[in-house]
Amino acid sequence: MMRISRDFHRRQINLDSITVGIEPTGLARIILTFKADDRMAEFMRKVLVRSEPIIDVEVIEPENSIVREVALLKTKKLDVGQLWKFIQLVERAGGKVLENKDNILIAELSGDHDEIEKVIMELGPEILKEVARSGQVLISRETT
Amino acid sequence: MVEITGSKALFEALKAEGVRDIFGIPGGAIIPVYDALYDEHNIRHILTRHEQGAAHAADGYARAIGKPGVCMTTSGPGATNLTTGILNAYMDSSPVVAISGQMPTQMLGTDAFQEADMLSIMLPITKHNFIVHRIEELPIVVRLAFKTSMTGRPGPVHIDLPKNVQVSKADLKIPAAIKYDKAVKMDPGEEEIRKAVNMLVNAEQPVIYAGGGVIWSGASAELVALAELLGAPVTTSLMGKGTIPEDHPLSLGMLGMHGRIAANLAVTECDVLLGVGVRFSDRATSDVRHFAPRAKIIHIDIDPVEIGKNVRVDLPIVGDAKRSLISIIKGIRAQVQRGRTSAWLQKISKMRDELAPRMDYDEVPTKPQRAIKEIMRVLNDDSIIVTEVGQCQMWAAHFCQVKKPRHFISSGGLGTMGFGFPAAMGAKVACPQCDVVNIAGDGSFLMNSQELATVVENKINVVSCIFNNRYLGMVKQWQDIFYQKRRSAVSLGKVPDFVKLAEAYGAWGDRAARPSEIAPKLREALKSGKPAVLDIPIDPDEHVLPMVPSGGKLDEPILT
Repeated sequence: MMRISRDFHRRQINLDSITVGIEPTGLARIILTFKADDRMAEFMRKVLVRSEPIIDVEVIEPENSIVREVALLKTKKLDVGQLWKFIQLVERAGGKVLENKDNILIAELSGDHDEIEKVIMELGPEILKEVARSGQVLISRETT
Repeated sequence: MVEITGSKALFEALKAEGVRDIFGIPGGAIIPVYDALYDEHNIRHILTRHEQGAAHAADGYARAIGKPGVCMTTSGPGATNLTTGILNAYMDSSPVVAISGQMPTQMLGTDAFQEADMLSIMLPITKHNFIVHRIEELPIVVRLAFKTSMTGRPGPVHIDLPKNVQVSKADLKIPAAIKYDKAVKMDPGEEEIRKAVNMLVNAEQPVIYAGGGVIWSGASAELVALAELLGAPVTTSLMGKGTIPEDHPLSLGMLGMHGRIAANLAVTECDVLLGVGVRFSDRATSDVRHFAPRAKIIHIDIDPVEIGKNVRVDLPIVGDAKRSLISIIKGIRAQVQRGRTSAWLQKISKMRDELAPRMDYDEVPTKPQRAIKEIMRVLNDDSIIVTEVGQCQMWAAHFCQVKKPRHFISSGGLGTMGFGFPAAMGAKVACPQCDVVNIAGDGSFLMNSQELATVVENKINVVSCIFNNRYLGMVKQWQDIFYQKRRSAVSLGKVPDFVKLAEAYGAWGDRAARPSEIAPKLREALKSGKPAVLDIPIDPDEHVLPMVPSGGKLDEPILT
């Protein structure tokens, strides 16, 4: 992980998210999201391929893949109006309220990056106290 | 079942890799390994006087012989002192395997005495690095380290070896010996080769630009064969010096900031440029927007990251240099030959002759050009020239005619002052039958002159020719040209007396005060049976010219 993030840092590219999971084969699948033009993206692909412990690198375009992110949202102590606004917005976005203690709520939300971003913006700092986000996971739609 | 210690296993694994020589310094965290070395009679350990010297020596060794050089140190300061040498090897793609002791695994992260996080420190400056957590991993880590250093694009590898692993015991199976030349090779794509053949055959004014990749691939013969087949002149990078004999009619000499004018003009005028085993460094290309402006560029390299990194490339070929060149030669031979228009070669030949640099100065103090000429008179085709860094290096690169690969060793990418002397020591250990001469500046030489003790004690008879101008000459040159002669912190004063310095260590030392004294005294130094230092006072006002200013155009050099 250090090897990979350093390769980006050195070339002044900001990684938007890093997620790691172990595949059934026992290998780690690392998903990196970053913004770059095609030339730089291809350059970084080659840099990563060259790194000794890396077995393969796949460039996945968002349009050819399913992208998801999970966010956990924790509120401040809400009044009734805020409470209903929170529940409505979360449920409309396909999320679920997990806990409610003294009008402090915790909810989970999954979707693509922009959907989650939109909900967080709409709720705003008056309602939200903390947000924990998973970073993006994605999988290619290709079947071959 | 026979249990052996990690330290013993390390040497068994090193011997399986064919290691005969190690440069290093012991210390607290690697004493068990040195204890095992006490009983080891098939490995020569050369005790250097600074760990940086050990790293450069391993690097020089690797470049001279084409196999990994090995250096070994203790933890903490011992290991951090390796870093300049390791980065130097990384920048110039040299296979060095560095081993350093480490705190026992249970103490890692506690800021224990002489603990340094070498895994993190070495990470960006090695091709790969390891920490050995358990003795069972040791044999495979050593195998992987050597394999990684030599396969594909060569590079340094570091092994961090905790002390508890050195002393623990296990019944270990050491992998059988392998030969380095079994290294994985990469074949180029057929379609790319076909396109390259077409481009080269149809070129009116082709030029080949060869680099260190040609040397590591062992492709010098193929390079010369292709150049002759095409009638294409060859220029080289600093690392590529010796890939084509520099007295060959098609050799143009080095390209770039301090390259030969003919080479720079040929690249500017060519219509197809074949770059092979090069990385198009900024010191070679200068302003990339004006580099080879009329040319289609074909770039062969084993490392895909290099292709398109610095210059635009019309035809990328990812592959081993030797295999790629063989395929291109076959492709060209299969086509109907049409005679190369001789106008291009005539023009090249004329440029080469008319723009040949002047070396026959008689002034006292000696002009560096003349000093190189005198040194070259004494050396033969098998002599290995090693350089320090700065003006001395660029005079050597510009003026020395190198005839064979691996016979010009210099710090290119990192430009490490202090590299030359320990690297020369490494080259001499690797090739004891060759005369090894270090072309040094007084500033660079002093950065690792403590290795005089090492060469004297170990009878490593290298000769250092000190181009002594009492300045940090290259910085002074930039200050003279670009900073209105405001010479800031570049004067080195009057000390030391290099002859006395040599003698203090028991080495041969003498001074050649006039140009005519250089050749006879160098001969004497080579025959002295001792390591030697020949002090050559040179004109302190002489600049390395021609010079293409950083970011300038190759065909617009500063000449005076």
